[in-house]
Amino acid sequence: MDPRSDLGKHPVSAVLAGPYGHPFHPILVTVPIGAWVAGLVFDVASHVVASPTFLTAGSTWLIGIGIAGAVAAALVGFLDLLAIPSGTVAFRTGLVHMGLNLGVTAAYAVGFFWRRQIDLAGPVPIGPLLLSVAGLAVLGLSGSLGGRLAYRYGVRVVDEATQASGFTAPADAGSAQRASRAQ
Amino acid sequence: MAVAALVAWVVTALGGFVMLARWISHGGLRQQHVGPTRFPAGLVFGHFGLAAAGLVLWIAYLLADIDQLAWAAFVVLLPVALLGFAMFARWTGARRRGAVGVAAGGTGAAAGAEPAEQALPVPVVVAHGVFAVTTVVLVLLAALSA
Repeated sequence: MDPRSDLGKHPVSAVLAGPYGHPFHPILVTVPIGAWVAGLVFDVASHVVASPTFLTAGSTWLIGIGIAGAVAAALVGFLDLLAIPSGTVAFRTGLVHMGLNLGVTAAYAVGFFWRRQIDLAGPVPIGPLLLSVAGLAVLGLSGSLGGRLAYRYGVRVVDEATQASGFTAPADAGSAQRASRAQ
Repeated sequence: MAVAALVAWVVTALGGFVMLARWISHGGLRQQHVGPTRFPAGLVFGHFGLAAAGLVLWIAYLLADIDQLAWAAFVVLLPVALLGFAMFARWTGARRRGAVGVAAGGTGAAAGAEPAEQALPVPVVVAHGVFAVTTVVLVLLAALSA
């Protein structure tokens, strides 16, 4: 095992970033992704239904929930970035992933305060709606970099010997796991 | 006032990120059990985690405009400040001892076993402290006027 890639697998703080093999960042990012995707659905739906007030107001709430969730995810994600040795491809990928996500969060913050000025009785105007579309597009790009960090470079993923223990018969799994730990 | 507090908070956090990155890259975590660092990981990450939770509360207060959130953020900041003072005291103590070591003819071998917190840039430490105090004051004023 290359010790450099092994470094990116261990948390700098198990309490804050999640224990080895169970990082918290991937579950925290579901909050902004879910809230912002639902927010865009509300935006589009506000142009379809007869009385869109609840959708226009609800979309602003969803964006706010997403921002708070994104900040929480960012703080934990930053700890995982620090687990990666600097000067590596994985670290640079992490920096781009972080930069894009911070940009998206800032764009949603602008969108949130923009929406406070709009008339809640009508549908979401095209300007803030397009800002949300752009935000989600960049989020998708940035998310794919996050996927590359986890699934290609194995950041915060357990070593392969431990992974292999999941592919033994259930009765053998315990002993296989103990054996991989003992290595 | 509330937005000024957010700006001060984020600037403080940026300084904290820089210091955390340097502390870890200079072996702060590896030095936990046998090394010379005087920063226990629990102290460092307790400070980080509570400050992060407070920042999320403050952003939630800015978005939702619920006064109780402002006070909750202020209450969370108090232990953050205490832990920060604890680290600052340990950092200044280590620096004084480091200076004494150099004056007494510290060798290269001694320099290799330096506590990770010796790598923290002095201007960043000072700016972090100044902005942190500013943040606490602004958060209190914003909460009082909420």
